[in-house]
Amino acid sequence: MTPRMQEISQLDRVIHEPARLAIMLILGGVGEADFLYLQREGGFTQGNLSGHLAKLEEAGYVEIEKKFKGKVPLTVCSLTGKGKAAFTEYANRMLGLLQSSGASGSPQP
Amino acid sequence: MTPRMQDDSAMPVASAGRRAAAYWFADGLPDIVFGMTLLLFGALGLWWCLHMREPARQTRLDFFFITAGVILFYWKGRQVVDLLKSRLTYLRTGYVQPPEDVWDASRQLISLSLRPGPPPDENVTHFNKRTVNVLQTWCFLFLGQYPWSHWYTLLAMPVLAVVLYALNRNSEHPYRWWSTLILALSGPTLVWLDVPPILQPLLMPLLAGVWLVVQGACTLAGYLRANPYPRAPEGVRA
Repeated sequence: MTPRMQEISQLDRVIHEPARLAIMLILGGVGEADFLYLQREGGFTQGNLSGHLAKLEEAGYVEIEKKFKGKVPLTVCSLTGKGKAAFTEYANRMLGLLQSSGASGSPQP
Repeated sequence: MTPRMQDDSAMPVASAGRRAAAYWFADGLPDIVFGMTLLLFGALGLWWCLHMREPARQTRLDFFFITAGVILFYWKGRQVVDLLKSRLTYLRTGYVQPPEDVWDASRQLISLSLRPGPPPDENVTHFNKRTVNVLQTWCFLFLGQYPWSHWYTLLAMPVLAVVLYALNRNSEHPYRWWSTLILALSGPTLVWLDVPPILQPLLMPLLAGVWLVVQGACTLAGYLRANPYPRAPEGVRA
């Protein structure tokens, strides 16, 4: 196996799945969001989002809490410290891979 | 010719924070709350101006009323907006924490997109910086200028409108050009209506307050129309 292939195989598979990557990106950009916001923003179905969030929670990347905003109960999701670290590592690894393959910089017109 | 694949990879990355910021303004509540604050404290200033005798009037407390309103908005505005949102917005389209306390990896997210993007932390605080601060500075400059108030009134509203439009043009919360034009024209209208000069400086923050409330109310009406309250499933009673 070439070093690059080895590097690819070391990508975090929990994050690498597109729907979970989308969830990580949204949560990474906003701090915390509730289930409904994530569902609308990512275009997920309820079941699909639940499944992916469960996997991210199981990996310790996402924290899910029941919170009250005023009198309204919300299911709020946020990235944990472990999740942020894992995502940063994933991002660095991916960026390194893309740069080493010459795909760095702005997209060509 | 081979069609090139369009690279949209940067879009969701750079826009996650910005979309959340735009979402904060989607229901018009920040405008309404700040507009109401200006109206309330502007009305108090006007009352002071109308009911006090000349020496007391000279203390310029009307200006301090506006400043107190702005300070109150800075202190409690966010909580009030959040409370209103919890009744109107979060149930309809969900809750997201606006990205002002976002962790440092925002830079990482932007670098991952391989395209420079605007930082997502210029958002909710951004409204304070580019609308609330502008209005406060403008009040500081234009209130209490009685000897030239006719000229100031002519100038003040167009200046405010241009500054608000220019500063917010590329933000998550831009003002429409025709809306700022209405604001700009309200100053000369006061002069044309021959409003007593002593009242003109105080009517200006009131006009700005009305303008913000109307703008926010229109946005809120559009939002509520587009996002009706989710109905409980059949057979379920609240």
